[in-house]
Amino acid sequence: MSVHVFGIRHHGPGSARSLGQALTTLQPDILLVEGPADAEPILPLILHRQMRPPVALLVYVPDQSQQAAYYPFAVFSPEWQAIRFALQQQIPVRLMDLPQAHRFAMESQEKQQEQGDKGKENGTEQSAHATTPSAPDPPPSPPSVNVRFDPLDLLAQAAGYRDGERWWEHLVEQRQDSTELFAAILAAMTVLRSEIEPGLVNPDPLEAQREAFMRKTIRTVEKQGFQKIAVVCGAWHAPALVQRPPAKDDEALLKGLPKLKVETTWVPWTYGRLSMSSGYGAGVESPGWYQHLWQHGARSQKQRRQKDFSPTLESSIRWMTQVARLLRKQDLDASPASVIEAVRLAETLAALRDRPLPGLLELNEATQTVLCFGDPLPMQLIHQQLVVGERLGRVPAETPMVPLQQDLQRQQKRSRLKPDATETPLELDLRKPLDLERSHLLHRLALLNLPWGKPQSVGNAKGTFRESWRLQWQPEFAIQLIEAGVWGNTIEVAAAAWTCDRANRANLPELTRLIDHTLLANLPLATTHLINRLQAEAAIASDLTHLMTALPPLVNTMRYGTVRQLETAVMGHVVDGLIARICIGLPVACASLDDDAATQLYPLLVAVHGAIGLIQQADILEMWQQVLAKLADQQGLHGLIAGRCGRLLFEAGVFQSDDMARRLGVALSTVSEPTQAAAWLEGFLSGSGLLLLHNPALWQVLDDWVMQLAPETFTAIVPLLRRTFSTFPAPERRQMGERVRLQGQTASGKQSWQAGGEFDRDRADAILPLLAQLLGVST
Amino acid sequence: MATTKSKSTHSHSQSTPESASPASALLRDHAEQQFAHELQELAKADQRQRPPNWQLSPWAVSIYLMGGTLDNGFEVSPKYIGNRRLMEVAIATLATDRALLLYGVPGTAKSWVSEHLAAAISGDSTRLIQGTAGTSEEAIRYGWNYARLLAEGPSMEALVASPMMRAMANGKIARVEELTRIPSDVQDTLITVLSEKVLPIPELNTEVQATKGFNVIATANNRDRGVNELSSALKRRFNTVILPVPDSIESEVAIVHQRVTSLGRALELPAEVPALEEINRVVTIFRELRNGVTIDGKTKLKSPTSTLSPAEAISVVSSGMALSAHFGDGALKANDLMSALVGAVIKDPIQDQVVWKEYLETVVKERDGWKDLYRASREML
Repeated sequence: MSVHVFGIRHHGPGSARSLGQALTTLQPDILLVEGPADAEPILPLILHRQMRPPVALLVYVPDQSQQAAYYPFAVFSPEWQAIRFALQQQIPVRLMDLPQAHRFAMESQEKQQEQGDKGKENGTEQSAHATTPSAPDPPPSPPSVNVRFDPLDLLAQAAGYRDGERWWEHLVEQRQDSTELFAAILAAMTVLRSEIEPGLVNPDPLEAQREAFMRKTIRTVEKQGFQKIAVVCGAWHAPALVQRPPAKDDEALLKGLPKLKVETTWVPWTYGRLSMSSGYGAGVESPGWYQHLWQHGARSQKQRRQKDFSPTLESSIRWMTQVARLLRKQDLDASPASVIEAVRLAETLAALRDRPLPGLLELNEATQTVLCFGDPLPMQLIHQQLVVGERLGRVPAETPMVPLQQDLQRQQKRSRLKPDATETPLELDLRKPLDLERSHLLHRLALLNLPWGKPQSVGNAKGTFRESWRLQWQPEFAIQLIEAGVWGNTIEVAAAAWTCDRANRANLPELTRLIDHTLLANLPLATTHLINRLQAEAAIASDLTHLMTALPPLVNTMRYGTVRQLETAVMGHVVDGLIARICIGLPVACASLDDDAATQLYPLLVAVHGAIGLIQQADILEMWQQVLAKLADQQGLHGLIAGRCGRLLFEAGVFQSDDMARRLGVALSTVSEPTQAAAWLEGFLSGSGLLLLHNPALWQVLDDWVMQLAPETFTAIVPLLRRTFSTFPAPERRQMGERVRLQGQTASGKQSWQAGGEFDRDRADAILPLLAQLLGVST
Repeated sequence: MATTKSKSTHSHSQSTPESASPASALLRDHAEQQFAHELQELAKADQRQRPPNWQLSPWAVSIYLMGGTLDNGFEVSPKYIGNRRLMEVAIATLATDRALLLYGVPGTAKSWVSEHLAAAISGDSTRLIQGTAGTSEEAIRYGWNYARLLAEGPSMEALVASPMMRAMANGKIARVEELTRIPSDVQDTLITVLSEKVLPIPELNTEVQATKGFNVIATANNRDRGVNELSSALKRRFNTVILPVPDSIESEVAIVHQRVTSLGRALELPAEVPALEEINRVVTIFRELRNGVTIDGKTKLKSPTSTLSPAEAISVVSSGMALSAHFGDGALKANDLMSALVGAVIKDPIQDQVVWKEYLETVVKERDGWKDLYRASREML
């Protein structure tokens, strides 16, 4: 009976290759792998034809989907290769790490204790951490993350490396010859642990329990009579599994552990997410590079017998060729000649640094210098597509249901909505809690690209509390739901995380639209992120129309929106910034507009003016009016804009009547181009026939101006006036005509408007008390 | 005994810069003259393999540039303060016989690095071709001594070799300064030299073939105005290393402060050396606008078209000093800085104006203690 412990680095391709060789030579009759013991039942799915790594083992508490742990696997993960090996050889595989059932239970106990100890503060913070959809890492970091320092860093520092990963890569992963490797790792780790552990101020009790459970599993297996036991675990744990203390110590550690019911399943994973810290210790910085090393390793073993074959050179050449092909796909110059030079430079760099073969750092530097002409921008592309890689895994259809599906079912049940393949209409009254919940659910699903319900325009019913939907469930939604599972375990979290991710790539108008959606879907956390993004995006936006489009909806939400109190401050800051930028940029942006551009800008100008009016801040209003005044005087400004500026300022009382009349005369004088003059008048008056009727000042200005025109000039200008006035509806025009006739009769128009003067004081007094009551002022 | 010896060499090295050349009437020494002692010590200590015709091994060259302590305790002063990896890439490039192009905004020590690389590798940094709009092909290839040409007819004796040709013949490093200022058609003369490593002389039906150790270091600006883009044929023959602006605000402030102090002394400005705080503000403004984000990383900004290199920060502070010395009270104030600052930032009268105004309104206005700067800028605009 023998126990062979193989200390590996999680996701190390070199470890995986060496481990494969070692297992083939050893031919064990049972394999123990570091992994949560609860996941054993779903291991056989690994061999399924449709299973494509990267995938992650998901362990979660069914009724509390927030509590979940992910154990990602890539094709080059030693654990993955070891389990595949065992399943193919049909020898039993056990997972020997402490079951998540215990770990979750302990975590929730701790949380409760903390809440008991320190009041609510800590607990809320923790749960907030779990649900915050911080943008680049959509699934909330699983609670099992080990935040301790990386002990390998110590060894790396001693050897003069930057970090543990580089050190390990050079010493272990890039090693071509793996004999005695595991013995050496074990020796190194034993020394390291004996150096560090006595000095640890606060040893993690969980670590001790995990190792105790691993040892316990080994003992059980020994008792069951297996002869050659292969144990695969993180290098750090290896010494603890070799020198096993008496069984009763471990039993004591593991006694009375709390337990929760958990479920396990596989979810598709991506290399991008593999590079973050999660379930299995530290994240891998460069999964794509590891994939390359793994594939290359497999290939070089086949080709080893060929003559003149240098595996190291081959690796660099293949990598560089991939880089060059990627660059070419992006229409960047990358000739084979440059690839040759890049490989040579990488080799020379490695030699200069006393390395046996170029690592990722050397290859990257050579790429940047030779292929990218020193430009760091293409390197980002290479990092995304090659170094990290954009591979998405797949899981077979037989995989147990993901928590997201369960959450949806729960919500469907609660909101009494049944998935149905036939199209059914649904009318919602958002004042009812149930309907509001339904609306949130449908909006969230829509955000997740699951258009179960399609919003219909609400007929002619006024009021914002009505929503109309058409529901139709499509079978492929189930698959999309599985895919969306990577974003979170509940519809709410997933929708928020997905929105945040999309926000990171969106431009300004898209962002405002997203904000709109998230408000409807009631995702406050995502909204906060969106507002931050909006702020950053607004700062660098050079297209003023984007800024102007973004402003009014924001002001609306700030003024009337459902946003919580907390966010209005942040939002106010964003809005202030937007307005400052619009005010600075508008005169330049308006400098030379053609008819089309002016017509586009015109409604924006009006909308922004309305929004600024809504904000009701004196300094902002003043700044805006200064800009408008500047615009009104700006030479060569398109008439439409200039006219509207004049009108807005006139309404605000900045331009007095006589001043306005003068401007009107200047704008419509015979020297100005007739088309420009017409545009000016259109900008000044358009869409306001009614206003003209009811705003005596405006009427007066126009009237005065017409009255002082010489008959010839009037004849010349009539076509322009007609052009604008003909846009008013007929009844309005008729009313205007009547008014003009009336004024002619009373000789002086002014009197007809200010005819008041005498009123019945008694009757007026009678109204005052009621008025005071309405306005809430005491008399 | 050994320690005293190393100490004495150390103290000697300290005094080298001043005492190296007895003809101290020179305004400036070549790198190999100024640091002759360091090069000598490095050559003595350097046991590693040297590429053919190199005076030092690549490892020793990197020590020379980045500074360090030799095994015998000799202290090598750093010539380039910044990323060691960049220098390693540059040295490795020269070792692979590919030409090196140092690229970057003005004032990032490109020429400085090129001179020291040539000094350390070839022991000679004088094979220099200065690129200007008027640089001709003869300056890169060869010219003729017309008197001899007329008297004796074409011959090798009548030929005037360029620094490039001499470097090829002797296996040394040739330097081309401001490559992008050279007209494009003249730039392309380099293509044959760099790819075939020969310089044909059709008049004599012969050629000069480069000896081992020959290589070219070129420097070029990427954000200056009035430059000729490199043809892609030429670009492909260079390995490009971009020298960045200082990566931390501390080092940038230190560089600016040191240069401003020494400049003020050289120009005999009566103004007192400005407080670090004022320099800090200038450097902060430059960094924020250059990087398009505030120092705290919270607010994004637009970047102007101007380059805003440390060299320009130096000139802003020193012209502010001159202003305050001759027209102010001798102490550097926001008003004195502002005119030079606006001039440095606003290079394009329309776009940059918008950028600068936005910066004033969204950042300067709200920053504590920057009110004077904001007021001064309002007066300027």
